[in-house]
Amino acid sequence: MDMTTNNKPGLHPGGGGSAADDLFTFAEYRHAQAEFTASTEYSYWRSVWRNFLRNKPAVIMSFVFIILFIFTFVAGVIGNYRYDELRPDNKLIFLFPNDEFWFGTDNLGRDYWSQVWYAAQTSIKLAAIVGVGEILLGVVIGLVWGYVRSLDRFFTELYNVVNNVPTIIYMTLIALMVGQSFLIMAVSLICFGWLPTARNIRNMVFIYRDREYNLASRCLGTGLWRILWRNILPYLISVVVLRLALSIPSTIAYESTLSYLGLGLDVNTPSLGILLRNARSYFLDFPYLLIFPAVIVSVITITFYLVGNAFSDACDPRNHL
Amino acid sequence: MKRIFALLLTLAMMLSLAGTAFAEPITDFVTYQTTANEMETFNILYSQYAKELDVLTNCIDGLLSNDNYGNLVPGLAETWETLDGGLTWTFNLRKGVKWVDYQANEKAEVVAEDFLWGLEWVLNEKKNLAANMSMPSEMLVGAQEYFDYTKELPEADALALGLEKFQEMVGIKAVDDYTLVFTCKAPMPYFATLGSYNCLYPVSGKLLAELGAEGMKAVSYDTLWYNGPYTMTTYVQNNEKVLTKNPTYWNKDIQTFNTVTVKMVDSVDIAFQMYQTGELDNVTLNEANLQTIYRSPSHEFHNHLNEARPTKYSYQIHLVYDKKLEDGSPDVAWNTAIANEAFRLSWYYGMDFTNYLGRINAINPLNCTNYCYTAANLVATSDGKDYVQHVMDLIGLQPSSETYTRFDAEKGAAYKQQAMEELSAKGVTFPIQMDYYVQGSNQSALDTAQVLKQTFIDCLGEDYVVMNIKTFVNSLIKEVRAPQLASFYINGWGADYGDPINYLGQETYGKDNAFYSSAYSKIDLATDEDLIAQYKEFTALVDAAAAINDDLDARYKAFAVAEAYMIEHALVIPLYVNISWQLTGVNDYSKIFAAYGIQNNRYINWETNKQGYTTEDYVNFAKVYEENRK
Amino acid sequence: MLLYTMKRLLQSIVTVLLVVTIVFLLLRLLPTDYYFTEEQLIKLTDQQRHDQLAAAGLLDSPFVQLFRFYEDLANLDLGTSRRIQHGVPVTQVIGGKFLVSMRLGLISLAISLFLGVVMGVLQARYKDKFGDHVGTAYTVFVNAVPTLITYSLVLVIGARLFKLPSMYSVRNVARSSILPVVCLSLTSTAGYMLWTRRYMVDELNKDYIKLARLKGLSSRKVMYRHVLRNAFVPLAQYLPYSMLLTIGGSLLVERFFSVPGMGTLLTDAISRYDTSIVQAVVILYASLGVLGVFLGDVLMTLIDPRIRLTSKGNTR
Repeated sequence: MDMTTNNKPGLHPGGGGSAADDLFTFAEYRHAQAEFTASTEYSYWRSVWRNFLRNKPAVIMSFVFIILFIFTFVAGVIGNYRYDELRPDNKLIFLFPNDEFWFGTDNLGRDYWSQVWYAAQTSIKLAAIVGVGEILLGVVIGLVWGYVRSLDRFFTELYNVVNNVPTIIYMTLIALMVGQSFLIMAVSLICFGWLPTARNIRNMVFIYRDREYNLASRCLGTGLWRILWRNILPYLISVVVLRLALSIPSTIAYESTLSYLGLGLDVNTPSLGILLRNARSYFLDFPYLLIFPAVIVSVITITFYLVGNAFSDACDPRNHL
Repeated sequence: MKRIFALLLTLAMMLSLAGTAFAEPITDFVTYQTTANEMETFNILYSQYAKELDVLTNCIDGLLSNDNYGNLVPGLAETWETLDGGLTWTFNLRKGVKWVDYQANEKAEVVAEDFLWGLEWVLNEKKNLAANMSMPSEMLVGAQEYFDYTKELPEADALALGLEKFQEMVGIKAVDDYTLVFTCKAPMPYFATLGSYNCLYPVSGKLLAELGAEGMKAVSYDTLWYNGPYTMTTYVQNNEKVLTKNPTYWNKDIQTFNTVTVKMVDSVDIAFQMYQTGELDNVTLNEANLQTIYRSPSHEFHNHLNEARPTKYSYQIHLVYDKKLEDGSPDVAWNTAIANEAFRLSWYYGMDFTNYLGRINAINPLNCTNYCYTAANLVATSDGKDYVQHVMDLIGLQPSSETYTRFDAEKGAAYKQQAMEELSAKGVTFPIQMDYYVQGSNQSALDTAQVLKQTFIDCLGEDYVVMNIKTFVNSLIKEVRAPQLASFYINGWGADYGDPINYLGQETYGKDNAFYSSAYSKIDLATDEDLIAQYKEFTALVDAAAAINDDLDARYKAFAVAEAYMIEHALVIPLYVNISWQLTGVNDYSKIFAAYGIQNNRYINWETNKQGYTTEDYVNFAKVYEENRK
Repeated sequence: MLLYTMKRLLQSIVTVLLVVTIVFLLLRLLPTDYYFTEEQLIKLTDQQRHDQLAAAGLLDSPFVQLFRFYEDLANLDLGTSRRIQHGVPVTQVIGGKFLVSMRLGLISLAISLFLGVVMGVLQARYKDKFGDHVGTAYTVFVNAVPTLITYSLVLVIGARLFKLPSMYSVRNVARSSILPVVCLSLTSTAGYMLWTRRYMVDELNKDYIKLARLKGLSSRKVMYRHVLRNAFVPLAQYLPYSMLLTIGGSLLVERFFSVPGMGTLLTDAISRYDTSIVQAVVILYASLGVLGVFLGDVLMTLIDPRIRLTSKGNTR
C-alpha cells in the first residue's frame, strides 16, 4: 500500500477540504498490523480448557473426584480402626452403621469403613495405571494400523488372534503359571485392553485417511508421524478421551468379574470389585454392605463419564468460539 | 366335672387334629441345587460324587437300602446272610422287578446276572477308568487281579469283554437268576453294608448289549434303564431336571411324590428369592439371610427356622508330617514342631474353637462340636450304644451346648510351655510359620480361615504360631497336596460302608490303602522316631481290632480303644460336624439317614407340609424320633 | 471387490487356524495332571495315569498331537467331552446350547440396537437439555452399578412385583425369557446410546450441517438423512460381529438365570480341563469373530463409499 502519495483528488493531510473530509480520516500505517492475518490468538488446549470449564456439572464432578481421591488416604487415618489391625469377632457381625462403626461391620464383624476406603485406593490406582497404559498402547497401535496399509494385514491378524482366544484362557494360564498380584494384573489387563481402543482408532483413521488434505500431505512428502500426529489424531481426540474415561470404570468392573472367577488380585489385596462381589449375597438383607462401595464406584464412574463427555465435547474445535 | 373335662379333652384333640389336618402334604416336590453341582454322567457305576449319586439313587435300586435310623433294609435283595462268619455272603433277590426306560416302558427283568455285569464294569479298567473299584478290589476275591488284567489289555479288547473271564477270576457268582453269592478275601462282617453303595449296583446285560461299551459310557437320561422309584423324564443341563414316579416300581408300600423337580440355580441367594416367591419347597440359609430372619421376631420366616440334621461327614484337622517349602526343600521347623507331642496337645487343649464353629452354625455353634474321628450313627454295640459314645467315654469328654468342653486353658498353656522348651532345644525358632491353603475364589472359605487365624492368635499367641492364609486357583491336589505345601488341612470324611475300619483305616502307618496317610499327612515320609512309634502303636491297635470278625461288640470296642489312642496323642484333631439352618417343608427325621452309602437322598416316605414346618414342629419331630429309636 | 472378498476369506481361514493352534498349544502347556479329576488323581497310581494318557495319545509331543487333531478335524471329528458330559460327542454338547443363547441374544440385540440408536439420536438432538441429561443419567447408572447387582435387582423386582419366573425354563420359554432379555438389553442399550450420541454430536459440529441448516432444511431431515447416516458408519462396523457373537451367550446372565446356553460352557470347560470342548468352542468363537469383523468392514464400505478397503488408487 502506497501511503506516501497524496495524489488523491481532494485529500490533503491536515489540509482543508469539503464537508467530505469529516467522513473520512487517514488510517495510520503500522507494519506489524499490516502483517496480521488472523483475528485472535488461538491456543487449542487453552480453548479446550475454557470450553470444559463452561460445563458446570463436569467441573463439579471433577472436584468431587479429587476430593474423593484425597479422602481415600485421609479416611484410613481418621477412622476408628486401622486397616491392618482388623480382626474377626463373632459378636459384632452384620452391624448396621453406628457411632463406633461408621460404615457398619461385615460378615466377620470387621470395621467396614477402613475396608472400603483402603479398597478404593487400590482400585483407583489399578484403574488409572491400566487406563493410561491401555490408551497409550491402543492409540499408537491403532494409528499405525489404520494408516499404514502394508501393516494392516499384520495387525488385523494379530488383533484377530489375540481377540478370538477367550481371555479367560490367558488369565487362567497366567494365574496358574505366573501367579497373582497387583503388578501382574495391571500388566495383563493392559495387554488385553488395548484391543478395542486400537480397533476403534483404526476404524476412524480409515475414515479420515483418504481425505483430500491427507492426499495433499502425502504428495508434499510429509512424514508418517507428522501426518498421524497433526492431520489425523486431532479428529480422534474426542474419541480417545472418551475411551480413556470409560476404561477406568470398566477396569474396576472387569477386575470384579475376575475376582468372581478366582483369577483376580491376591486375597490380601482388597479392592472395590471384591467388596462388591461379596456384598452380592448379603445386600438384600444388609444393603449398607453394598451401598458404600457401590456409591464410590458410581461416583468414580459418573465423574469419568461426565468429565469424559465434557472433555470430549470440548476437544472438538468446532465448539471453540 | 368329669363331663367338662371330657369336653375340654375332646376339644383339645379336635384342635390338634385340625392342626394336622391343615398340614397339606406336598405332591410335587420342587427343590434346588447349585449349578456347580450339575451332573457330569448318568452312569451310576462311574459316578463318584454326590452331585450325581444324590439324583441317580432315585433312579436305580441296589441290593440294599437304609431306613431313617440307618439300619439296613431290603432293596433288590429280599434277604441276605453269611453262614461262615463273613467269608461268603448270599443275597436272595426278589422276583419280578423290571427295568424300564425313562417313560416307564418295560424293557427287561432284573436278574442276578445284572449284578455281575455291574461289577465287571466297575472292575474293568478301560470301561470305568478305575472309578469306585477300591472297595471291591480290597474286599472281593480276584477283583484286583481282574482289574490288573484289563489294564494290560488293549482298549478295544477290554471294552469288548463279556462275563466269561470275569466269572473265572472274581469271587461273585449268580447261582441262579435270583441268587447272588460273594466271596470275600477274608471274613468281613460288614460286607453287607456295601450293598447300599454304588460299586455293587446292577446294570442290565441287555442294555449293555444294546448300547455297547462306548454307548454306555455316554449314557444319558433318555437311554438309561431304570428300576428305582423314579425315572428322569426331563433333563436340561444347568437348568432343571424332573423325576417322575415310576409306576412299575416293585415296592408298593412306600410313599413317593408324583414328580420331583430339581431346579439348578447359580447360588443359594437366588434360591432364597425363589423360596420367597413360592417357587421352591426348601432352602438352606446363607449367613446374611439367617441373621436377618433370626434377629427380627416379626419376620415372616422367624418361626420357621430349622436346624438341619448333621451331614454324614466328620471333619478334622489333618496335620502334615512332611511339609515342603515352595522351593521344594523340607520345612524343617514345621516338621520338627509337628512331630512333637506337646506341640500338638497344646492345640488340642489350648484352642477354643467356638468362634470357628460359629462360622458353620451362627446361632448354635456348639451343636457342631465333634470330639471324635469317626462319625456318629455309623455302628453301635448290641446294647444300642453308639460307637462314638464309646470313644468319648474313653477319652473322657462329652459335648455340651454351653461351653466348648475340650478347651482347657491351663493344660493348653502348660503344653505350650513344654513344647517351646523342647523345640527350642532342638533349634526351632518361634513363632512357627504355618501355611494354610484356601481356594482363591471361595470367599466364604477365606473368611472362615480368617476366623481360624484369629483363634490361633487369641488362644495360643502370635509368639508361638503364625498362620499364613495362602490361596490356590483351581485344584487342591495339583497345586497344594502334590508339592506338599500346606501345614494342615481341614477335611471331612463320609463312610462308604458300615465299619469303623473305613475311618481309622485311612490314617494308619505303612499301608497303601490308607488314603489320608498317603495323600494328606504323609506320615510314611516322616522321620521323627517318637512320632513313628506312636503311629505304629496306633496301627497295631487298628489291626488287632480289624482281626476280630466273630464278635461285633468286641470289634467295635477294640476300634474305640484305637481311636481313643489316636485322639489322645493328637495325631489328628477332630473338629466339627456340619449343621446348617434351613426353611423347609420336609421333615428331615422321616428321610433315610445312614452314615454310609448313597441312599440318603431318596425321595421316599418323606413327611411334608406345603406351608413349611415351624421351629416347634421340628423340636417335636426330634423328640419323637429319639423316642422311637428302639 | 470380489477378489478382495476372496482374499479376505482365505486370510480369515488362516486366522482361525492360527487361533486354534495357539489355543491347542497353550492348553498343552499345562501339566498332564489336569486331565484327571481329583478322584482319579487319588485312586490311580502313576503307572495307571501314564497308561491312560498314552492310550489317549496325550503323551506325544504337542506337534504330533496337533497333527492328529487336524486329521480328526478334516474328518469333522471334534472328539468327545471328558468332563462336562462324560463320553458325549462335542457336537452334541454344543448343539442344543447355542440355539438357546442365540435366540436370547438376537432378541435383546434387536431391542437394544433400536432403543439405543433412537435414544442416542434424541440425546444428540436435545444436547445439553433435559432429555440429554436424563439419557446420560441412565447410561451412567447402568454402568456404575455392577452388573450382578443390577441383575439381582431386576430379579427381585421382576419376581416379586411382576410375578415373572425367576429362572429360564424350557417348558415356559416365552415368559421365562423376559427377565434375561431385560437384563441383557439394559447394558447393551446404554452402550449403543452412548456411542450413537458421541458420533452424532461429532457429526453435528461439521460445517456441512451448518450449511444444511442455513439452507433451511428441517431439523428432522438434517438429523436422519445426513447426520445419522454418517454417524452410523462407525457403529455399523460392530453390528455383524455382535450378531454372530450372540451365539456365545452372556456369561453372567446365563449363570444368573440358569439359562442352558453357551455362555457358561467355556468357563466350565476350562475350569474342568475338558480340552475337547474348549477347543471346539474356540474354533466356533474364532470363526464367528473373524467372519463378523470381515462382514463389518464390508458393511462399512457399503454404507460409506469414501472408505476404500483395497489400496487401488492410493499412494501408500
